[in-house]
Amino acid sequence: MDPSSLPSDTVQWWTAVRRQLRFYLRTWRFVGLLIFVMVVTTAFTALSIYYGDSGASANSYLYGVINSLPTFGIIIGAFIGGDAIAMDFGSGTGYFMLVLPVRRVVLLLGRYAAAFLASFALILVYYAYAIAGASWFYGLGGLPWLDVAESIGLAALFALAVLATAFLFSAFFRSPAISIVVTILVLFLAFTILDGAIAVTGVEPFFSLPYSGGVLALVFQSAPHHVISSVASGRARITIHTWNPYIWEGVVIMLVYLGVGLGLSSALYQYKESKG
Amino acid sequence: MPQIEVQGLSKNYNRGPPALNEATFRYEGSGAIGYLGPNGAGKTTTLKLLTGLLRPTGGRALLNGVDVAHDRKRALSNVGAIIESPEPYPSQTVEEAIEMVSDFRSGPSRSVREEIRALSEKLDLPPLDARCGRLSKGQRQRVSIAASLVRDPQVIILDEPTSGLDPKERILIRNLLNDLKRDHLILMSSHLMQEVTEICDQVIFINRGDILLRDTVQNVATRFRTRAVDVEFATPIVVDRIKALGPLVQDAVVVGERRFRISFDGSDSARAEILKGLVGIGPVLSYQNASLVLEDAYLALMQGGVAGESAA
Repeated sequence: MDPSSLPSDTVQWWTAVRRQLRFYLRTWRFVGLLIFVMVVTTAFTALSIYYGDSGASANSYLYGVINSLPTFGIIIGAFIGGDAIAMDFGSGTGYFMLVLPVRRVVLLLGRYAAAFLASFALILVYYAYAIAGASWFYGLGGLPWLDVAESIGLAALFALAVLATAFLFSAFFRSPAISIVVTILVLFLAFTILDGAIAVTGVEPFFSLPYSGGVLALVFQSAPHHVISSVASGRARITIHTWNPYIWEGVVIMLVYLGVGLGLSSALYQYKESKG
Repeated sequence: MPQIEVQGLSKNYNRGPPALNEATFRYEGSGAIGYLGPNGAGKTTTLKLLTGLLRPTGGRALLNGVDVAHDRKRALSNVGAIIESPEPYPSQTVEEAIEMVSDFRSGPSRSVREEIRALSEKLDLPPLDARCGRLSKGQRQRVSIAASLVRDPQVIILDEPTSGLDPKERILIRNLLNDLKRDHLILMSSHLMQEVTEICDQVIFINRGDILLRDTVQNVATRFRTRAVDVEFATPIVVDRIKALGPLVQDAVVVGERRFRISFDGSDSARAEILKGLVGIGPVLSYQNASLVLEDAYLALMQGGVAGESAA
């Protein structure tokens, strides 16, 4: 084989996307997540239909449903991307893949694209249920299709940002299972706790990826950027700050996570050694 | 022509002693090179540096003239490698795993199916539609070997290729490598002296990161001639009759009912003279070296018993 007869990076990237996507779609975690999303959204839609929609419009219904999507997006992204790099250094697959004549960054970007397609497929299932529920109450003609399209576009960006962050975490571990668990703990629990803790400080959580995910629902129904409320705690009163990101602000936060996560994980993947 | 070259190649892990210390060798053309040394000698480190799995702390590793650290993709373009225990994705079928490697090497192609069928026959692969995750270790190893050979790369780097294989599978791989070495350049590490003796034309001995000796198997055989022979007679005889053959026989011990081990100075003339004497004692069924030459060389080198030997 002449080096000049090697496929281009683009052809190899496409090979990586196809092969990795097939790999993701065949894993139990994908099937499990699909069942999980379907069960939760079916239950939500069924309860909405049974009790009736408490909102006044399709927008408010969609706001209510999509408001939970960032949480699902983080779980999906962490499960699918949480071992992306660890799998090559904690199991024998790295010895199978990394001795091939392909740039590591091409392999990683192929894996990233495949992880995105698998994650986005699950997110679209969530949207399908949301649209089905909204159309039950308001008819297909009554749906804010432009807002739906905008929200789906933002959800795609959110999935890309979550996956880039998950890829970055996965570069620090050798065990794929530990990598997934830590990614979930950090992205899901740590941010939730942090967001809750700073609610009393008056600082906007502009550093928080889950916070940026709020824009997925906010396209359907605007909310004040900053709400201050006061709650009683014994004899004292605590001031609680509630924040809603601007759309542009959410987009910027996601882009930063995407850029930093993907850039650093590519660099780490490039230079990581197979010492084990 | 296929080429493997390392120039002053070194690797240090953290602050410990070097895992590889300024190794230098160059091979070109076809043939098989055995890379021998105990655990932790630096064999796998060398092979990982050659395939870009590790970055060198000094020196260069070149495959077909291309520096692996500078352009991994081009350097590995004509290389098939098995390092440690590679595992295809568990959800892939045998055919998909090999086809994927082919796609990365030369782009999607319909002709690869025929090549996979041929490899499947040669290596006695499991059914091509079987999922890799359900295969035994030996089966997965054979799939990995098939994947490393698809699209016929000219340089083949193998890290203990028969580990985890049963005797039948080892013979299969040995025959395959003996075929391949006619027009490929193979560098293989192994613990099995028998395997290296049967496959390789050249050997490199390494210990604690230093290359101790590099030569052809034939030259090593001459240098480290075996100093004991095993003889088997057709009828029982008394060991004292062997000892009485004269000063050429340094010692003789019973190792079986009609089998004896005879120590001598290792020279060809003494070996021939002793045989003549043994035939006079009784009918000789077999007369052979008591151990493999490479095994003797290995033990002598690892025990530091060959002072002043250096890489050829």
